[in-house]
Amino acid sequence: MKSLRLPRSPKVIIGLVIVGFFIIMTVIGPWLAPYNPSSTAFAPLLSPSAHHLLGTTSLGQDIFSQLLVGARATMVVALLAGLAATILSMTVGIAAGYLGGVSDEGLSLLSNVFLAIPGLPLLIVIDSYLPVSSRSNFFVIGLIISLTGWAWGARVLRAQTMSLRNRDFVEAARIIGEKRSRIMFTEVAPNLLPVLASSFLFTVLYSIGAYVTLAYIGLTSTAVWNWGTMLYWAQANNAPLSGEWYWFVPPGICIALVGTGLALVNFGIDEFINPRLRAGGLTSRQRRKLGLPRRIRLGLTPVIHSTQNQAVVAAHAKLVSR
Amino acid sequence: MIADPLKTQSAAKMTESPQHSVAPVSARHDFVLEVNNFSVDYGVGEDMVRAVNDVTLKLRRSQVLGIAGESGSGKSTLVYAMTRLLRAPGVISSGDVKLNLTNEGDPEEVTPLSLVDASERELRNIRWSHVSIVLQSALNALNPVLRVSREFNEVLKTHRKGMTRSQRHDRSVELLKMVGLNEDRLARFPHELSGGQRQRIMIALALALDPELVIMDEPTTALDVVTQREIINELNDLRSRYGFAMIFITHDLSLLVELADEIVVMYAGAIVERAGASELYQAPRHPYTLGLLNSFPPLHGERRELAGIPGSPPDLAELPEGCSFAPRCPFAMQRCRHEAPPLTNIGDSDRSVACWLHSGDPSVRVPVELSREMNPSRTRVTALKERT
Amino acid sequence: MRMLARRLVLYIVTAWVAITANFLLPRLMPGNPIQTLIGKITGTVTPNEIRAIRLSFGMGFHQGLIAQYFTYLTQLLHGNFGVSITLGAPVSSILREAVPWTVGLIGLSTIFSFAIGTFGGALLGWTRGSRLDALIPTATFFQAVPYFFLATVMLLLFGSDLHWFPVLGAYSQTVTPGWNLAYISSVIRYGELPLLAIVLSSLAGWMLGMRNMMITMIGEDFVLMAVAKGLPRRKVIWHAARNAILPSIANLSLAIGLVVSGALLVELVFNYPGVGDLLLQAVLNEDYPLIQGIFLVITLAVLAANFLADIVYLWLDPRTRTVAAV
Repeated sequence: MKSLRLPRSPKVIIGLVIVGFFIIMTVIGPWLAPYNPSSTAFAPLLSPSAHHLLGTTSLGQDIFSQLLVGARATMVVALLAGLAATILSMTVGIAAGYLGGVSDEGLSLLSNVFLAIPGLPLLIVIDSYLPVSSRSNFFVIGLIISLTGWAWGARVLRAQTMSLRNRDFVEAARIIGEKRSRIMFTEVAPNLLPVLASSFLFTVLYSIGAYVTLAYIGLTSTAVWNWGTMLYWAQANNAPLSGEWYWFVPPGICIALVGTGLALVNFGIDEFINPRLRAGGLTSRQRRKLGLPRRIRLGLTPVIHSTQNQAVVAAHAKLVSR
Repeated sequence: MIADPLKTQSAAKMTESPQHSVAPVSARHDFVLEVNNFSVDYGVGEDMVRAVNDVTLKLRRSQVLGIAGESGSGKSTLVYAMTRLLRAPGVISSGDVKLNLTNEGDPEEVTPLSLVDASERELRNIRWSHVSIVLQSALNALNPVLRVSREFNEVLKTHRKGMTRSQRHDRSVELLKMVGLNEDRLARFPHELSGGQRQRIMIALALALDPELVIMDEPTTALDVVTQREIINELNDLRSRYGFAMIFITHDLSLLVELADEIVVMYAGAIVERAGASELYQAPRHPYTLGLLNSFPPLHGERRELAGIPGSPPDLAELPEGCSFAPRCPFAMQRCRHEAPPLTNIGDSDRSVACWLHSGDPSVRVPVELSREMNPSRTRVTALKERT
Repeated sequence: MRMLARRLVLYIVTAWVAITANFLLPRLMPGNPIQTLIGKITGTVTPNEIRAIRLSFGMGFHQGLIAQYFTYLTQLLHGNFGVSITLGAPVSSILREAVPWTVGLIGLSTIFSFAIGTFGGALLGWTRGSRLDALIPTATFFQAVPYFFLATVMLLLFGSDLHWFPVLGAYSQTVTPGWNLAYISSVIRYGELPLLAIVLSSLAGWMLGMRNMMITMIGEDFVLMAVAKGLPRRKVIWHAARNAILPSIANLSLAIGLVVSGALLVELVFNYPGVGDLLLQAVLNEDYPLIQGIFLVITLAVLAANFLADIVYLWLDPRTRTVAAV
């Protein structure tokens, strides 16, 4: 069984730090918020100051508090949607890949249909029919988003499962007489871990975008603070055009940062899945030390010149002495 | 039958003076390729693994050099690094590779080019026009979305600037005929051809510019035995007609015996035995060579029992002290476990071996299998037939 | 050809699923939205219009669900998407006004961003390890920024502040629409910034995908062979890129949906008179017939684009098009 060990590249570390930061914000953000985000107790449209780090809205609400409180809804819905979508894509993808035949045809068709329907317009249609009370429910929104975001993962998992299906250890479990569902979830699924992780991150990324977009066009409850509703109110009050950048830029940057963090971690997983994406064995420090070019060109195998760097050659010789 | 095998220096001498020039100036034009004290590493620093260790060899014009060894023996790494085609993290850590290029006008005059020092531009100029290469899997070596005609066209267009479109077409047809294929194959895509056809196309492509040296990296491994046989015969025929030199890499020694003039056996990145093809086949001197010979049935004749070599190829990162082969060697002695044998000429013959059994020490009894006499009256083929 | 037929079947099934979902959603949702809607507008519109609305939802009077479904399908086949509640006009004629703007904007920007992204990705993949790698985190950031946010920032910066581009709307109010130079150049000028916003938002996705495929391809033997053949560098890159582009096109189905979704919101930010802007108005006014009509049109357009991508793929990859003939 392959265990998921992320390559320790700066990309992955930065990604993990960013994601970690926002997860902490999700947990403790609402407690840290200096004011009630809905309170209209302050003067409207204050510029950022020590009292209001990001100023106030046209209703006199503290924007910094909205940002901190809004992190929770945004992240929780995205994580819920990501989780639900991953479970869905795992079930469909592994079943299709493992069972094959007619089941595969049917399940593949299902995921391809969902892949072909543009997600956001479908979301908008479903959401616009939802009673207003359900629009503030994280679970309902999360589930609906997951409905439009599971298909890609299912497709990738199906392909991966098919390649695993005929490996020895799966074959062995079949001969022993293990139940199919058991084989699928205990033998096959653990080996899909890297692909699964990648598809989870991808869906969370998609879900943040989808949720924020729904909120931005006013399709989630305005009673729940999230980064999308902040943008909705900013837009509705013409904040961008009147130059109140402190109102609409911070939530946008937060969304982009979370997304960047997730994508950076995903790079690491991609490199784990596809070894060719890993940098070719030599760290930049080693290359510099040996006087090798920064980029190793195909068809130009580097040469360590003995005359150029005697010390390196000596160190080299010591290493290979047998 | 064997045109005088290479005179090689003793390994002891090589380690004494690694910078020493090997080729005698007078004989320079005889050799198309000279490799001296060539070492290749994967990675550098702590994680470094030495894949090719201090290899010296020379290849005469129009001759076939076979390189044999298991996977991981460094045989492919050696030739890819030699041609500077080895991918990262491969690094050439020492030695030189000299290619003696003939001039168009005067075949007697040669220009040596060091491939280790060559610029990208110089390399581009000699690639394919002087040195071409055939890979194990033609399916991977041909661009899957291009027609066969395009592959020929591209090579001719790049290196023969003066050719017209119709001349290029004629040449492509001619090349296909050389390897026994009909010209209608030109319009095909790789996936529409059989494995044998694809490999023939690769061979035709490799000969397109009349190179002096063709490198074959296990070109028949992916093919069935019958096709393998046909292609080996064709290669023998093509070589006698066009006179290119060839390096043929394989793990199948019996194949080399039919094709090669000289054979080099590699183990754990180093040469362990070097001899003329017949000598090596009839009278192997290194236990590893013996093991390889017992692992494969010859192409001619009936299958015989495969003895093989116990154990698996060594982990290059953790080579044992002493002789790398000692842990798998049935004849290993005390000395083998802590002292690595140098590649040394044996007796007054031209062959060399890296094995303590042949050190000349009278107290060491050489096993019968490794002291067989060579019968000079027998040709390679008759020797093969007798054995099978 | 078999592949094309299979894909066509998939798209037909998808279209059917979308249409059926459109029919079922209003009926399955709690609180009977259609009835609420009709209750809301009774009095403001004529009984005739109410009849038309009911009909467009497939709600003939005294019909069962199955019968309603067939009424609905028949209406659709005749191009009747119903009547917009807020605009009082047939949805089909409203869409006819809006769709060309959207197709022009999104179509053009997709072509631009695909072309630039693929080219850039091929270059990034080839020069992996060089200083150009510094572009990757930037590209990742742009990939994560919501389209509408980037569009807003650009509108603010380049439109309102720097006045480099005219903004809001699709053409200047001072020109008369028609085949005249003033109008056409105005349309182009007004389209520039929205186009740039969509290209900038979608570029990174193509670029990073192509980079990864390019790196994978460079590991293939045929690229090493291209080097061994002594081909000039740009030819070697071409060998790799020609193959790396195939997965990019194969994944177009996922990407087109995302790009279209994002681009619709860019229209909204720029008040561009396309489908996206229309959709927002419809959502705000709970104009269900219009929302549904827009959803169907977008879905069908995306499916058509997918089919187009399939044809391109087929043309580019000989392995899918021929039956082995030895």
